[in-house]
Formats: sequence, structure tokens, C-alpha cells
Amino acid sequence: MSTKGTKIPDWLTVPFAGITPAPSQDKGQNLFPTGNWRAIRPVYRDKLPPCNNACGTNEKIQGYLDLVKRGKYLDAYALIKEDMPFPSVTGRVCYHPCEQACNRGKYDEAISIRAVERFLGDLGQALKHDVVKPGKPNGKKVAVIGSGPAGHSAAYQLARMGYKVTILEKSPKPGGLNRGGIPVWVLPPHVLDREIERLVELGITLKTNTEVGKDVSWDDLKKNYDACVLAVGLTEPNSVRAEGENKEGVLYGLPFLRDIGMGTSKVKLGPRVAVIGGGNTAIDCAREALRQGAVEVTMITVEANTQEMPASPEDLHDMFEEGVDLWHGRAMTAVLGNGKVESLQLHPARFSGAINASPINIDRNAPAEKFAVDNVIIAVGQHASLNWLPPEFKNERGTIKIDRFGRLGDTNFFAAGDIAQFGSGQPLMVVNAVGDGKRVAFNLDKALRGEPLQPRTIAIDVIMDLNRMNMTYFPHFPRVHQGMLNPITRKKTQDEVIQPFTEEQAVEEAARCFSCGTCNACDNCYLVCPEPCITRPERSNGLYKIIVDYCKGCRVCIEECPTGCLEGVPELDFDTGVVRMDTAFAISPGLHGRQAQELVNLASRPAKNI
Amino acid sequence: MPTVTATKKKTVRINGCVASAQAAKYADVDVIAAYPIRPYTATMMALAQMVANGELDAEYIVADSEHSQLSIAHGASSSGARVFTGSSGVGVQFAYELYSPISGSRMPVQMMIADRTLDPPGDFGSEHTDALSTRDMGWLMGWACDAQEAFDNHLIAYRIGEDRRVLLPQMVCQDGFFVSHITSDVELPDSSQVREFLPPYKHPYPLDPRHPVSHGPQIMPEQGPPLQLERARAMEGSMAVIEEVHKEFGEIFGRHYDPWLEEYKTDDAEVVFFLQGGHGVTARFAIQHMREKGLKVGMVRLRTIRPYPTDRVCEVLSKFKVVGVIETNMGLGSPSSGGVLYADACAALYEAPERPLVISFMAGMGGEAIVLKEFYWMTEKMIQAQKRGKIEKRTHWVGFEE
Repeated sequence: MSTKGTKIPDWLTVPFAGITPAPSQDKGQNLFPTGNWRAIRPVYRDKLPPCNNACGTNEKIQGYLDLVKRGKYLDAYALIKEDMPFPSVTGRVCYHPCEQACNRGKYDEAISIRAVERFLGDLGQALKHDVVKPGKPNGKKVAVIGSGPAGHSAAYQLARMGYKVTILEKSPKPGGLNRGGIPVWVLPPHVLDREIERLVELGITLKTNTEVGKDVSWDDLKKNYDACVLAVGLTEPNSVRAEGENKEGVLYGLPFLRDIGMGTSKVKLGPRVAVIGGGNTAIDCAREALRQGAVEVTMITVEANTQEMPASPEDLHDMFEEGVDLWHGRAMTAVLGNGKVESLQLHPARFSGAINASPINIDRNAPAEKFAVDNVIIAVGQHASLNWLPPEFKNERGTIKIDRFGRLGDTNFFAAGDIAQFGSGQPLMVVNAVGDGKRVAFNLDKALRGEPLQPRTIAIDVIMDLNRMNMTYFPHFPRVHQGMLNPITRKKTQDEVIQPFTEEQAVEEAARCFSCGTCNACDNCYLVCPEPCITRPERSNGLYKIIVDYCKGCRVCIEECPTGCLEGVPELDFDTGVVRMDTAFAISPGLHGRQAQELVNLASRPAKNI
Repeated sequence: MPTVTATKKKTVRINGCVASAQAAKYADVDVIAAYPIRPYTATMMALAQMVANGELDAEYIVADSEHSQLSIAHGASSSGARVFTGSSGVGVQFAYELYSPISGSRMPVQMMIADRTLDPPGDFGSEHTDALSTRDMGWLMGWACDAQEAFDNHLIAYRIGEDRRVLLPQMVCQDGFFVSHITSDVELPDSSQVREFLPPYKHPYPLDPRHPVSHGPQIMPEQGPPLQLERARAMEGSMAVIEEVHKEFGEIFGRHYDPWLEEYKTDDAEVVFFLQGGHGVTARFAIQHMREKGLKVGMVRLRTIRPYPTDRVCEVLSKFKVVGVIETNMGLGSPSSGGVLYADACAALYEAPERPLVISFMAGMGGEAIVLKEFYWMTEKMIQAQKRGKIEKRTHWVGFEE
């Protein structure tokens, strides 16, 4: 008998025929550790969704859409508030570069992110107490000059970090461009007022009617504050330098909107109005002109077509709906009339370069057109008014000279927003100014604490591409559209044109999100693992773990991960036989990335317990 | 609950295939996995008819190949069913992948084999190579020599294989045509006898959603040997169970089989044939004939080849001067350069104090009967060797030599 006298040692004792009891939630299948077969290891590594990347202030868009999908609205609101002080505002005014970047746009229709943001912003407005609290006071005082998007954002972030912030605003009402550059039928004043209240609730002191260079000097700022953020914006309208531009009836875009926004407008428009310019402000002016009593509004642009215009296609569409006429390829060369505008002289024109800020070539030899109007509104950008600034901090564009961290030389002065723009020379959009203010606030904090600063431009992480996702899991589903007021009646009123999402609409739209590259706790890996060696204490992003003692690296979870969050990492990249969580998760802003600190602490724990 | 209609003991005239089908019916099998190949097909035809007639309540599944057929058998057995399947010749080979997994997962699947020569060329006749090629895969295995023994072996094999001390699959073999297609009288038992002998089957750890378990997991290299050792223990441990069950079978049914060997006229024999299967029937007739001529010849017929009754073979065969192994199988390049039975017999005899001379005869190949003249020829070869004290050569191709 060959088996006589044989004995199986305890440590090799296995169940009858290897028949394995059902796996448990925390240990998985723990009888037959076959992890040493593995050549690749599945790793949850959140990539940057394209929406987060495209957003001017890098809102964690995938994150809050996921929370909305799950009905966790307050958590979603708190998440958006990390990067965006006023989602109720951007939920209305933003040009939503996130939606242009949305991977879903390459599949059926982009997610209506802005509408969900507005849903969350309005939810936040209704809260008695905001979820955001001021930081522990650090005893340092910061002045923020200007209460527009960049200043608002910087002040908000600084207050959250514990700074004693004072905002100096030269106008009688705070809000800057948010109040003076955006029509009330896009952004009702009470919405902005509520967001300003939130700033005051954070302990920020707001001084209106306080102008730098007049009420406060450069030296006062230096003396009275530990640091200062200059976010004064571009306040002075550009001229087109046409003959007769000083005639009565000639208006400028930003002051036109600003006076209406501040409630100080005395303008009375005639029935025929022309708007010069092809940007978003020009569109707002044209539509506002209708609401101010104009009957025929014509927009005149140098751009040869709508594609060239630096304007959002939706705003253009809404403008056409309201009946504004649009002329291309013309420049206004003179304002004609006897003391008052009677007509405009137009010549064919085009930009000399590829961008709208390049010089304009006007064909003055061509026959001039004469166009009869009662008013003309010139909306071709604006420039700075910086006579209070020491000349060494001015640049050749007439804005503030900063280093790549947003700092003025080696001072504790920082600048953000339009006044510190570089690049194309185009004014920033609201969301970009918010992001700029946020990054400058963080750098200011670092500077005062003596830490190395971060460049204003963000480091590009891996941006998730549609091709790396498993589209089998995403059925086509149309975008949920926001309601709109009727164009015939709305153009006579100041009522908000775009209607909010209902809760059901917000959830339905958020549920369309692919969650590109970021774990959204879909449970697919957990279900498809044949061993099974994936556990999670609950269905939540960041709580999934691979029990590597049993994972053979079969790749099924990786292939079947809808979002592409799971990656196969060659086993040789690891220096231990068990998972090292600090390498398993990325630094990108997904929720997994949020565990970074917690994961660092794991280093001191025995590997088996990780 | 048994689903077979209560029947009284009766004798019927049926062939081996139908006897096997009857045995499956009496065993009240739950799942039948079928795929046709001659000559065993007649068994499945008979079973299909029984299921269609309502004589037997079983799932009758026709597979798309023998590989699927054995996979179905494996899965059905894992779920706790008593499973019957079968094949012949190259069909046995096509399912080869499943033999080790089925025995390794300790599933007492039963497979009926009606032997058929392996290709080439296409030959329907019986050679044992088909089943013998799987003999080391952990299946209990033995040959019947007639329809009655085939019937009995099926019931006995289920009882052994399903014993908690064993839990191994079984191949119940019979020669194609010689047994499978020749009718003879078969006593069918009273159904109460079968109920007494063969209790309903219950696997200890079936696949059951109410008590989830995994069968056949992937394991670490070091976890393989203990499982193999367990399987070896089960195979060896079955020997005691085999003896116990044959004894009980005899008590209930009145037919007493030696579980390992049938000895025929060996009391004073000096030379013996050592064989298995249907040629045992013609060998008995030939031995009677030769005995009348005064030749001291006998026969030892191997009934169970896995587990191999090594000690018993050694004890019995070492009584004789010369052993002539009738192979009825191909072992190309084997130690005797003939069949595979020779090597097992020699290995069993190696420790014997007095070893007989052993000669291998390649006879009964391709489904040919071994005729009387050939038995005389083989006996003559054995007697010559006895006289000489030395074999002429290890293997003789009978019918191709002077």
C-alpha cells in the first residue's frame, strides 16, 4: 500500500477534493492563494476626466455628478464649493468648456453639466447656513482689490484658509463683472447678492466705494496688510477709434451693461440699435438692447462668420431666436450725424492674424456702406486703468506684470483675473477668473508660509480618452434639455431666460455621466472577478481593494471596467508581493486621490494588513 | 424517491448493451449523457426508449461530442446527480481531458465502455486499448466477460464509487460485439434487491445555490500534492470497499464474484492464460478441450484492473510455471513491445519468491475471435518454454508466426 504511513501536514490540509467554501466579503476566497501566478496587477488609478481638466477652476465635475446621481446633493454641493465659490452664478453664466470637452459629446450628446451645477448652486442658496466654514484664524490680513469673479474666488479661498480678508470694491455694489457685465435675465441680482452674503458669513470685510489710487494708496496696502490680491479687472472700454465716436448716442458695452446692473442707468435707446463687436459681451448688449426698448438690433462684426466669433454658440442661437440681425466682415469707420448718431459708415474688414486680438485690416478703398441707426453700442473689449500701480509692475499690454506664480516681483502682492492675464490677450471667462483667483490664493498662502509656489497653469495629468473605456456598458441616451422662455415674449422682459432643472432632471442628466477614468463604484469589477478577490466594505469609490494573494492577473476586471479606472500594472513595478496602496492610487483629483494622505500613513503598517 | 417501477425477478435474453441499459435503469440514474458511436450506441438507444416510455425518469442529454458528453456528466455529478454515460473507441479518447478532472473532483460518474479498436483504419472490432489508455486517470475499471456480468458490474461499480470512503468514477467495460452485441440469458433482479443494495446517491458537497461552494479551484503548486495523495488514498482505499461490496452483492443477488480474478481450472495447472473480458468465455471452452487432451492448462481472468490487485496477482500467478498474457490491446513500444497487461503482471510478480515465465500473446486483435487452434498454439508455446526453462521471446503475434 503506497499511501500507507502518509501524513498531510496541517499547513497543507485542504478541503475534500479542494471543494472551497463560499468566499466571504472581507477575505474573498482564502484557501488557495494563487496570487503568485500574476504578471500584472489590477490597480485602481483614477485618471483626470476631460471635464475636470477643461474647467477653468478644475471643478471635480465627475465627482459631483456621481453624487447627484446617488441623491447626495449636499455632498455634491460641498464638493463643487471646493473650487467654485458661486456655483449658482457659473451654473447660469459659464461658457461650460467642460461640456465641449465631455467624452459623451463624442458618443451622443455632452452632459448638461452647467444645468446640474446650477441645480446644486440653487440648492446651496437655499441653505440657511452654508456648508463652507472659515478656516482657523492665522492672524494674517489680506486685502483683495476688486469683487469680481477673480477677487471673489481669491477672497473665498483665503478666508477658508484662515486669513482675515478685506475686499476693497470701488463700485457702490460688490460683484464686479458678475454684476456689471452680465445681464439680469442671465443672472438675477438676488442670486449674486446671496453669494456676496456668503462671503460676509465667512468673516470677510467688504468695503464698497473704496477705490485704489483714490481712497487707498499702494503704500497703504503695503502697510496695512500682510499680502494683497489685485483683481481689479479691465474696467475701461476699448474704442474702435472711428471718426465721430464722441457723438451723442454712442455707448460702450461694459458701461452700458454695468449701469443697468448697478441700477444707475439713464440710457434710453432709440428703435434702431447697432452693436459693434463679436464676443459674448456684444451678444449680451444686443439682447439687452431689445429689453431696453430697441426694435431692430443689428450686430456688426469683423469676424467673417459665426465660427470665428469668440462667442458661445448657445448664446448666438438664443440671440438669433430673439431676432437680432448679424452682419459679418465689416468695421465701423465713422459715426455720422449732426451731433447725434444718425448712421454708421462701414467698410469691409478682416483680422490680419488668426486670433481676434490681431490688428484689423480695413479696406477703405471699397465703397462705404451707410447704415442708419439711433444708437450704437461699442463692445470690442476693455483695458486696464492702472495709474496707481508702480510702473515697474506694468507690462507692455498695460496690465500687471506677474511671474508664473501670479506674484509681483518679490512682493507679497499677487494679481489675478483679467488684470493679470497672459496668453491670447482675450479677457478671461468667469470660470477662468475664478480658477485664477483660487490658484493665486493658494500661492499667496504658500508665500506667507515660506513654501515653494505652484505655477498658475495646472500640471496635466492623464486625461481619460473615450477609447480607453468600455463603451459596451453605456447605452445611448439623449441629453436632458433645460426649459427656455418663449423668445417672442422674453425679449421684452428682464425675466431669466433659461429655466432650472427639476430634481428628476438633474438626477437623470447626472446619471448619463461616463465617469471617465474615475471609479464610480459601479461594482462591475466586484461582480466579474472569477476568483473572487475584489472586496469592498461598501459600494463606494476608493473602498475597492484587490486581495492580491488570490488575484491571478487575469485582466477580466480591467477589461470590464466601464470607466477605465482599473489598469493593469506590470508586477515588476511593485517591489513587494502585496499591494502597496500608495502606488495603487493616483494623485489626480478623483476620490481615490483623496486617500493619498491616508495611504501614506499605511506605509508603517505590516503589508499583510494593507 | 426511486422512480423505477417495481419489478419482479425475471430472466431475459438480451445483449450486453441492453444489459448495461437495464442496469442504469435499475440504478435509477438521474442524468444520462449520450453521444453515439458504435458499438456502445445500443445502450443509449435502449435508455432513450426507456425514458420515452416512462420506464425511467431521467434527464437524457444528447451532447455534441464525447468531450461535451463527459463535461455534462461532470457537471451533473457535481450537482449531486447519479450520472450514466458511455462510449467506444476513439470516442473514449475524445473525452480524455475530462477523466482526470472528474476523478480529481471525486465525482462518481459511471461510464460504460463497449470496446472498439482505435483508428486507423476504421475497425468496429473489440480491442481494449480505448479504455486501457485511460487506466491511470483515477477511475475504477474492470471488464465483464458476458452480459450478466456486465449488468452486475454496473450496480456494483455505482455502489463502490459512491461510497463516501471512495467517491471515484468508474469505467464498466465489456468487449464490443463479443459481449455488447451477443445475446444471452440475463437475470434481472427484483427491484427491492437493488434498493437494498444501492441506496440513493448523495454527494457530500454538491453545487447548490443554498450552500454555495466552488468546485475545481485553482490552487498553489504546493497544494497539489496533498490533493493527489488524497486521490491515491481513495483509489487504494477502495480495495477494501470493493471486496466488501462484492460480498454483499453475492448475499443479496446470489451471484458471487471474486472481485479481482476468476480462476478457471487452475488447481493443477502448470501453464495459464492471463486475460480480461469476453475472450475468457472462449478460453474456458478451449481449456476444457485441451484438458481432455491432458494438457495442464488453466485461465486467470482479471476482473478489476484499477485498482490493480497486485498482491493477489502475485500470489495467484506465482503458483504456475508459465503465464501467457492475452493482451487484446496495443502497447506500442511497451516493455514487451506488445500490449500493456504484460508489464502490470510482471511488476506484480517481481517480488514473488518463485516467479513464473511470462509470455505476451497479441491475440484477439481487431475484434477477431481467438479460435481453438490458436489456444492450442499458445499453449504449445507455453509448454515449450516450461520445458526449456526459458521463453523464446517476450511477445508472440498469434496467427503471424509458425
